[in-house]
Amino acid sequence: MIIDKSDIIENTQIAEGIWRMVFKSVEIADRYLGAGQFVSVLTDDNWEHPIRRPMSIADVNEDKISIIYKVFGSVTQALTKLKSKDYIDVLGPIGNTFNVDYDTFYPILIGGGIGLSPILNLSKCLVQKGISITTIIGAKTSKEHFLQHNPNKNMFLSTDDGTIGINGTVIDALNIVLKGVKNPKIFACGPEPMLFSIQKILEEKSIPAQFSVESYMACGVGFCQGCVIPKKQNNEYYLVCKDGPVFEANEVKFE
Amino acid sequence: MNRLKCSIGSIEFNNPIFTASGTFGYGNDLPEFVDMSRLGAIVTKSITYEPRVGNPPPRVVETPSGMLNSIGLANVGIRIFIKDIIPLYENIDTKIIVNIAGSTNGEYIKVLKELESVSTDIVGYEINISCPNVEFGGMELGVDAKLSNKLITELRKHTEKLLFVKLTPNVTDITIIAKAVEDAGADAISAINTVVGMGIDIGKRKPTIYKTYAGLSGPAIKPIALAMIHKISKVVSIPIIGIGGIVNYKNVIEFLLAGATAVQIGTANFRNPNAGIVIIDELNKYLKENGISRYSELIGKLDLYE
Repeated sequence: MIIDKSDIIENTQIAEGIWRMVFKSVEIADRYLGAGQFVSVLTDDNWEHPIRRPMSIADVNEDKISIIYKVFGSVTQALTKLKSKDYIDVLGPIGNTFNVDYDTFYPILIGGGIGLSPILNLSKCLVQKGISITTIIGAKTSKEHFLQHNPNKNMFLSTDDGTIGINGTVIDALNIVLKGVKNPKIFACGPEPMLFSIQKILEEKSIPAQFSVESYMACGVGFCQGCVIPKKQNNEYYLVCKDGPVFEANEVKFE
Repeated sequence: MNRLKCSIGSIEFNNPIFTASGTFGYGNDLPEFVDMSRLGAIVTKSITYEPRVGNPPPRVVETPSGMLNSIGLANVGIRIFIKDIIPLYENIDTKIIVNIAGSTNGEYIKVLKELESVSTDIVGYEINISCPNVEFGGMELGVDAKLSNKLITELRKHTEKLLFVKLTPNVTDITIIAKAVEDAGADAISAINTVVGMGIDIGKRKPTIYKTYAGLSGPAIKPIALAMIHKISKVVSIPIIGIGGIVNYKNVIEFLLAGATAVQIGTANFRNPNAGIVIIDELNKYLKENGISRYSELIGKLDLYE
């Protein structure tokens, strides 16, 4: 992990309220371990917003690192103003990776909202290894999607309003996909209610899964002890930044 | 010439820039890019007798120029601290101050005695009588001058090491508490801990922090901290360690002028774990450029209007 003032190569809107930024960092790329890891960015030098914003890595191509972010508030709004040749202060890479050490499972990847970022990263890694997968990406409406719904190529989009792909949530899409595969293993990232719903379905069907979880976080290095998620086994907590962000689905509890 | 040499009690620190409790872990397990040996001292996160898992999430949230936290003193407990973490301090040069918290006077004393019973390189203790985020002990102790005096008097009997006492700003008159702990034999006063605050999410109609009330830190509280340190400096003769929203060397100078002998960097470590080290370099440069041979010349040198 390192802090690097990284040169921005590209910062473009790819869907409604969704942006992709590509920046160059040899230091961070050298330390990168794989899909699931994240970075934490600072948008400006003043202290009106003291805290970095954690963002999943969507792609690493040599020394070029991509993040995909959603415009939520003034910090992410400010992020959209940055241009090629500006720099961004990035801490990373942070956290663990999805564990894709398996032979027998069929991977189903699920990304909800901005949780699609590490899922696209994982998808690329698996495809490059020649592993066939199914990917499900959920959003509220078609304008928030930038990928194509293509069930023939095992790419499913869902929208809450039915404007593209499957009408409903990623759960509706998952129920359809599960009918056609054997020995599935789920890799999912998204908001807590989505992961909670997936966790319930998987428990009923005894399907293994890994979740990349989101959390409020003040530091990303283990100092603040802020980014906790309850352990399933007892009343203790994991730190998302140090123990995660990827957990086995049966390790964590959503409340 | 070391312009930053800093003395508190019998201990000489390389510089007056320390890390604040709860913002730098135990000083082990740091990011690779942090050279902790540069820091004047590290104050560990609070240690209690039994391990504590801490409060449910959400525990932290950003606020304008600050943040709210309610961690709930999550820590490994004194036994694991002594077994697994203290040995790591043998290999480092940085001075370590262990922050101690408890629910009862007895708990504070037990933790301190456990630490005293092992031979360690710890230079002192910071007694946390000001945590706003636990139900017993902590702040309710730190708002009562008599109880504070009694606890520190008792702890003083058990150690010759440095004894700092960390005060809460959530009181009517902090100078009364400061005087009470000075009278009890404290070597220094650390001030301030976080200011009680609250955030509300109007969409969810819920507090932004699980425990509703939380501790506000960061630049937002710096004016409060400066006023309190200035007031304390008028009533005590022991050193004050200034804490509250320090993010650069200019802020350090403000605290020195207000009467602090050293400072602790807190929230800024979350943004950059090297914040303290950057500040040390900046401060050194400032002193050199302004022909100030010892930083201590600035302590309490505030020029009031009247």
